[in-house]
Amino acid sequence: MSLLPTEKPAFKAPWRIGVDVGGTFTDIVMVDRTGAIEVGKVPSTPRDPSEGVIDAIEVAATQFRISVHELLAGCNHFMHASTVATNIVIDGRGSRVGMLVTKGFRDSIEIRRGIRQNAWDHRTPFPSPLVPRYLRLPVAGRIDRRGVEIEPLSETDIRAAIEIFRTEKVTSIAICLFNSFLSDTHEQQAAAIIRNEMPEVWVTLSSVVSPTIGEYERSSTAVLNAYVAPSIVSYMRRLAEKLAERGLKCPFNVVQNNAGALTVDHLQHRAVALLLSGPAAGIGALGLYSAALGEPNLLSMEIGGTSCDVTLLSGGHADVASEFELGGYHVAMPSIDIHSVGAGGGTVAGVDRAGLLFVGPRGAGAHPGPAAYGLGGAEPTITDAQLVLGRLVSGPLAGGGRTLDLELARRAIEERVARPLGLSLEAAAAGMLRMLDQQLFHAVQKLSAERGYDPRKFILVAAGGAGPMHGSSVGRKLYSPAVYVPRLAGTFCALGMLNIPVKHEFARVHLGKLDGTTFDALRPAFEQLSAQANARLAADGFSGENAQVTREFDLRHRGQIGTLRISIADEDETDWRKVREKFLAAYQRSYGYRDTTSDVEIASIRVVGLGLFPAFSLGTSEATPGTSPAFTERQVYFEEAGGWTTAKVYQGRDLRAGATIIGPSIIHETTTLVIVGPGDVCSVDTLGNFIIRFDPPRVA
Amino acid sequence: MTLDPVTLALVQKRVDHIAERMGQVMLRTARSPIFNQSHDFSCFLTDGHGRLISQADGIPIHTGGGGLIVEAVLKFFDDIAEGDVFISSDPYVAGGNHLPDWVITRPVFIDGALFAFVCNRAHQSDIGGGVAGTYNPAATEIFHEGIRLPPLRLYERAQVRRDLWELLLLNSRCPDLLDGDLKAMLGSTQIGAEQMIELAQDLGAADRLRYFEGILDYADRRMRAAVSELPDGIYAGAEMSDNDCFEECEIWIRVIITKRGDTIHVDYTGTDPQIKGFKNSSISNTRSATYVALTSFLDPEIPRNEGTYRCVTINAPLGSIVNPRSPAPMTMCTVLPAHDMIHACWMALAQAAPDRACAGWGKVSHCNMSGKTPEGSTYVMYHWNALPAAGAVKGRDGFEQIGPLNSLGKLIVPNCETYEQLYPVRFLQHELRCDAAGPGQYRGGAGAIYRVVVEDEAEYAYRGEGQRTPSGYGVHGGGTGAAGSVEFLLADGTTWTPPQFGTGRLGPVEIRIDSPAGGGWGNPAHRDPELVLRDVRDGVVGVEAARALYGVELSADRRGVDVTATEQRRRSM
Repeated sequence: MSLLPTEKPAFKAPWRIGVDVGGTFTDIVMVDRTGAIEVGKVPSTPRDPSEGVIDAIEVAATQFRISVHELLAGCNHFMHASTVATNIVIDGRGSRVGMLVTKGFRDSIEIRRGIRQNAWDHRTPFPSPLVPRYLRLPVAGRIDRRGVEIEPLSETDIRAAIEIFRTEKVTSIAICLFNSFLSDTHEQQAAAIIRNEMPEVWVTLSSVVSPTIGEYERSSTAVLNAYVAPSIVSYMRRLAEKLAERGLKCPFNVVQNNAGALTVDHLQHRAVALLLSGPAAGIGALGLYSAALGEPNLLSMEIGGTSCDVTLLSGGHADVASEFELGGYHVAMPSIDIHSVGAGGGTVAGVDRAGLLFVGPRGAGAHPGPAAYGLGGAEPTITDAQLVLGRLVSGPLAGGGRTLDLELARRAIEERVARPLGLSLEAAAAGMLRMLDQQLFHAVQKLSAERGYDPRKFILVAAGGAGPMHGSSVGRKLYSPAVYVPRLAGTFCALGMLNIPVKHEFARVHLGKLDGTTFDALRPAFEQLSAQANARLAADGFSGENAQVTREFDLRHRGQIGTLRISIADEDETDWRKVREKFLAAYQRSYGYRDTTSDVEIASIRVVGLGLFPAFSLGTSEATPGTSPAFTERQVYFEEAGGWTTAKVYQGRDLRAGATIIGPSIIHETTTLVIVGPGDVCSVDTLGNFIIRFDPPRVA
Repeated sequence: MTLDPVTLALVQKRVDHIAERMGQVMLRTARSPIFNQSHDFSCFLTDGHGRLISQADGIPIHTGGGGLIVEAVLKFFDDIAEGDVFISSDPYVAGGNHLPDWVITRPVFIDGALFAFVCNRAHQSDIGGGVAGTYNPAATEIFHEGIRLPPLRLYERAQVRRDLWELLLLNSRCPDLLDGDLKAMLGSTQIGAEQMIELAQDLGAADRLRYFEGILDYADRRMRAAVSELPDGIYAGAEMSDNDCFEECEIWIRVIITKRGDTIHVDYTGTDPQIKGFKNSSISNTRSATYVALTSFLDPEIPRNEGTYRCVTINAPLGSIVNPRSPAPMTMCTVLPAHDMIHACWMALAQAAPDRACAGWGKVSHCNMSGKTPEGSTYVMYHWNALPAAGAVKGRDGFEQIGPLNSLGKLIVPNCETYEQLYPVRFLQHELRCDAAGPGQYRGGAGAIYRVVVEDEAEYAYRGEGQRTPSGYGVHGGGTGAAGSVEFLLADGTTWTPPQFGTGRLGPVEIRIDSPAGGGWGNPAHRDPELVLRDVRDGVVGVEAARALYGVELSADRRGVDVTATEQRRRSM
């Protein structure tokens, strides 16, 4: 593990600690009272990820020459994200779940609405349902479409189901009753009986975990929650205890996929919100950069070994998607809108049997990884192309503990791409990069242009270990005003989680026309949800200005399925026309036209409670312009410069605030490598990060 | 002159991206549930001659019709100008597949020259005709099925032809939906046109057409490579429908597939003459159904464009059900006889490659209904929750319930809860059937039990193709899936089975449908006994069927397999 910078200034308590457990590495980021940052990486420990967390903390303490106890005791803000929940689902290691369903509706999670990503591929089976049919047990009792009971809940059926759950050693139960989004009374009654009879099992209510319309998505969400909650909550509790034993006094927070934090106490019905939470934390980092740059619009692509996650910040806010999918299972839960594509350093290239070049979406993974790793990989990857073109160099790879072998990379590209296509080695490698860049470009376009945002108005943030190698080339395609490359690109999410609030969301389906009558009628419901949010925030210790409660509507035009989330300000609360106007404006932005003639329909209402931590900003250093940093030179291949060309090579530590360099250049950083394209101008800002601008500026 | 292989790969990805992006715009802006829930539309691009370049977005049964529509526009108009937009639908004169699918065709000009067309084909919510919702089972002529659109100029040099627009709206029972949906179609083609211009500029005048040629050639090579893997031979298949929409009778689709080298000839000679009802197939739809059968059997990864099917020739005799003479009705064709054509082709291909054989999918049995909302507008509800099941293939059991075969299941089954909010219905049951699945080493899908109370009076359009004769045939030793059944429990307490096709008005009823099950693949006695046990525990296969069909004996508590008894039983089967 290496901490940055190498000479250690005194770290000033109290500090914040963020730990991000990924598939390969566990990242730790610490920010002290003055905004100084320290980062580190240790290998993840998949068998018990909490060991990796403790390892990272121990190594950090050693670097500081203080004890683990001092390190944790000096922390006033501890954040954690991990892929633990995700891996439980991917590896199928969750709990034995039983379902209680309304009689007549046992099979929604097996029929799964017939949804398949690619219709043409009809030979691939569905993932098997997480609860077998013989554990999806029917209960008589029915709530009608207005939320009124038309048949009482059958206690006899519930007791019969309990007997079977006992025999089958079910440890976690999901209660998923029909129309429970309109009235949760039956689910609550059933839960009370189960808790009484089987106090040792975990109980998940679909009406609590995902109060949304649609029995399939709601049940699927509840089942996934029931599937991961027992292990994930126990794991988090264990970790919280371990940290407390070692001196941590502040609350232990985990990151949810809505980019909000939560304490472990609230996790039971939110366990499913920890799936894909890591990338959502990146939004926090965008917030920090946004403040530092004075720039409310940022688009980020975080590129790792196998995938690229695109997120967007507009006017300081991230868009929210209402559902996502993991391993073929659907989760209906508000989450940061993230678009992921299989494009990263380990993405594999080749030529198909009809002679067409392909790049991805498959990746070579950590093993065997790129051909250049020498671990037996014969297929060329993007990393191999970067090596062949002189962007990367043979020898140890930054931030990865791997060694690159140029000969292996050359051989793989020669055999699998260059020769089959009749291209030179360099043209083949450059072609692979162009293909990847186009895929990244399409991914960014999907999250921006397709959502109604003009990417030309967004600074592109290139993060992740591999992002800074593609920022300059993708930024050019996008006509980005600039590309921002964080020096700590490799620990983007761990940093981000230090800048997110605690978040509690409460929603209720309410279908009706947006007009004065409905608007007034909804006030008590809003009051009720707000009271719930306030109570939660108070329990977490947030009050006054630090407890922020906002109201939202999910709106659409009549007949549409998708909704837009419209936040209402205090002054809008008395006037529904203002809310309608906000919707129409948002609609126009998204879809390019304004429709004033058709009715606006409410799909649901929501209250979001934010617990704001004290603001913090990153430490800056004064810019000293005009310095000429030291550099060496090497031959690097740039297609746009006509091939091999002499590039200046810098060491990141030599580039201080205010420095400006001209591409073609390469910057070696501890955890990444930055490519500055030919003619691009790269300067270092007061945070120590890189801003790449195009000269002349790109104008579409 | 050779093409740069990297640019070629980039162009292939880029045209697909453009089509997909158009689809996204359509999905998010359209008004009718048929688009935003069922994705019953396709966005596609052609070159300036109408040759299909990409149809990355869209449902399978639209695959073969792209070029024909544009060819008809080119035939009708010799004065296509920048800013023009065309609309068309007619299967007899405009290259359409069936009347409800309206196609917006927008020419793309670059440097003043016609370069490409960007199109959106979409099933409208209502186009007039005998019954609300575009499907009129009583139709005996195309004139009963709604307004017919030859290629029409909807925009003239960027100016909408208001009179024409009004004519279109006036012929629909849902003018508001139509208005919104047409705008969504226009918006999506506008985005597509902008992106095509960018692509053309990036490629440059000298190269742009050569790269289009290149991606068509590439698809041609992929398809030929896949075809070459099948053994040469002549393979026959035949599938039957048990009605002509009016009477019980046998209507046969017969096909002979001749595979030689890297070519395939599909000959429908011997297929029965066109029928009275609306299950005749336009030539455009016949091409599509054939292409769906071939591509889904061979390799779904092959790009689908004009090049893909150069190695395929089709003979569809004029006057037969797969190429009728005007004015035969045909609105049902995208579902039926598309399903029968795909089955017939699959049966033939199964002989060529049993390992890839696809068992039969259940045929649709559910009705549609329409009525008035409390506000007085017309609603149309499809009882999709009674959709049938899929057949098995090697390596996977049939999907228990899935969208129709013509879309390879792309259509999404709705949530009952959502439909209770939209329509005057109360659901009683939506669950899997027991002992219906076609047995096999991989079994067919089970099909669904569907029970719903309709609380108001409504107009019904019946389409019970699968309610009498089993349709999920088994392959390679697998068994046939059970037929469906449709019953209405009337207010007076009597039950009534509606005709397979027809229309009628009913007061409040309870609809009871058991949807048709899928066929099995391979000998059921080879099915993993643990999977049979799981099916029994799940209540999808009964204990008796486990014993009789699969040769599996369970332990006394029915929670385990009696291995010895099972082995013994299977030896004697």
